[in-house]
Amino acid sequence: MLPAPSLAPATAQRPIPDGRAGQNWSRTNPRQEPQQLRVLFVEDQPADVELARRALREHGFDVQGCAVQDPDQFLNEIRKGVYDIVLADYNLPQWNGMEAVSLLRREGLDIPVILVTGALEEARAVECLKDGAADYLLKEHLTRLPESIRQALREKKLREDNKRSQQELARSNRELEQFAYVASHDLQEPLRMIASYTQLIADRYRGKLDDKADRYIHYAVDGATRMQALIDDLLTFSRVGRQGLALQNSDCNEAIEIACKNLENAIRETGAQVEHDRLPVIVADGRLLVQLFQNLISNSIKFRGTEAPHIQISAEKQKREWIFAVTDNGIGIAPEHAQSIFGIFKRLHTHDEYPGSGIGLSICKKIVEHHGGRIWVESAPGRGATFKVVLASLLAKHKQEKLP
Amino acid sequence: MTPDCVDILMVDDNPADVDLAREALDETHRPYRLQSVSDGEEALSFLTHKGAYTQAVTPDLLFLDLNLPRKDGRHVLAEMKRDPQLAKIPVVVFTTSRAFSDVVSSYELGANCYVRKPGTLPEFLATVREVSDFWLRHAILPRKENS
Repeated sequence: MLPAPSLAPATAQRPIPDGRAGQNWSRTNPRQEPQQLRVLFVEDQPADVELARRALREHGFDVQGCAVQDPDQFLNEIRKGVYDIVLADYNLPQWNGMEAVSLLRREGLDIPVILVTGALEEARAVECLKDGAADYLLKEHLTRLPESIRQALREKKLREDNKRSQQELARSNRELEQFAYVASHDLQEPLRMIASYTQLIADRYRGKLDDKADRYIHYAVDGATRMQALIDDLLTFSRVGRQGLALQNSDCNEAIEIACKNLENAIRETGAQVEHDRLPVIVADGRLLVQLFQNLISNSIKFRGTEAPHIQISAEKQKREWIFAVTDNGIGIAPEHAQSIFGIFKRLHTHDEYPGSGIGLSICKKIVEHHGGRIWVESAPGRGATFKVVLASLLAKHKQEKLP
Repeated sequence: MTPDCVDILMVDDNPADVDLAREALDETHRPYRLQSVSDGEEALSFLTHKGAYTQAVTPDLLFLDLNLPRKDGRHVLAEMKRDPQLAKIPVVVFTTSRAFSDVVSSYELGANCYVRKPGTLPEFLATVREVSDFWLRHAILPRKENS
């Protein structure tokens, strides 16, 4: 499948910017400036190396590199860090091309490996791709090699870009959390003064000034109190993850009992009923587990319908995971909001309808994800909601063995 | 029998907290004298009757903040507990810090109790009231016994 030779005049050629040759190389113009390619051949037949070199040169690659035959030579070469790609014979006398893939992985190097082979069973070939080979081709199809290489290099660039943006995102998230922590921590003190003294003024002077003054003081007290609750929640949020997980055997039944005790007032005032099945003991941070259930129960109570809240908690084991379900008879959530409610400060209602900072569920999400789990909601407006939490039991089992 | 007037020293760089404590003590309707200093150096001068404090009365109870200018509360506490006279004064560490390490080190340095400043007014007032009540009414203090 050779591209048609182009007779385009030299003036039509565009210079290739440094380092981006791989992207700008046009397949339809093989007379364009050759693209430098540093290839490590894993091959014991010099004739095959030469064939591959020639195929690449014909397609506009300026091929450099050498051939190795065993793992030691291979390691020596890749550790130099100069190669763009590895072309490996699948069947060598001493070892095979897939071992090159695992060696690269062990070295933490991302160099695409293309397997070149005389014959390879389709099923085995698919397995190789699954195990990390970039591509495979038969020796008689070497004309496919250039495109295969370009594709492998494009994929590698995508992987690198992706990794870079993930690192960047993680870094900026860390900074943001650090900022949130410091800011909210330092805001606490002055805010405590404002809250205390507006409250003191309210207590002292209520009814002694005029109505307007009473109302204005009330606004100030209310605002300060709300801000205190908000900052408390923000601090709780940023603490999850700042401190490592204190993993221990945690009885979910106990966690719920403690959570209900903490929510005693709200439960009594709303006549809420919280029921749970016999729940498992899992390895988790006990304190965070209480917080998780507490926030979910409190959320169900807050968003209750016209009837008294009824909250049912169950757990079901599926393979290596426990799936917890917290089901309520509340107002429910429209599916389009099912994701966003877990975002920080996300509120679907006005403050007057439902007070609160809107951090509760994002704390839940953070706790669950910190344990390597998942959380989501299944609901429809007016039909209650079921919050599902998945926590791995693999981790549980593994850690349990080490626990006293 | 009218209760004796008790002397309380509050070491705190936040005058607003001193005033809040005064509000709380007023509610107890028992005679008290609350004096305050705003840093650790001053606190030790006060306690050892040095500098401007030659006339200062040795307090029956001390509220000590941890994070103070010049000399912080931990140093004040350590120096007090090294001095046989000052070691007898009950020290209530009264701070916003919730760091576990602060709690532990305060007790190691000989604090008599560690109390966190509550965030809301009613809690703050109740805490000061209850802590003072315990130390000045229920607890028997060495100075009062000897006099």
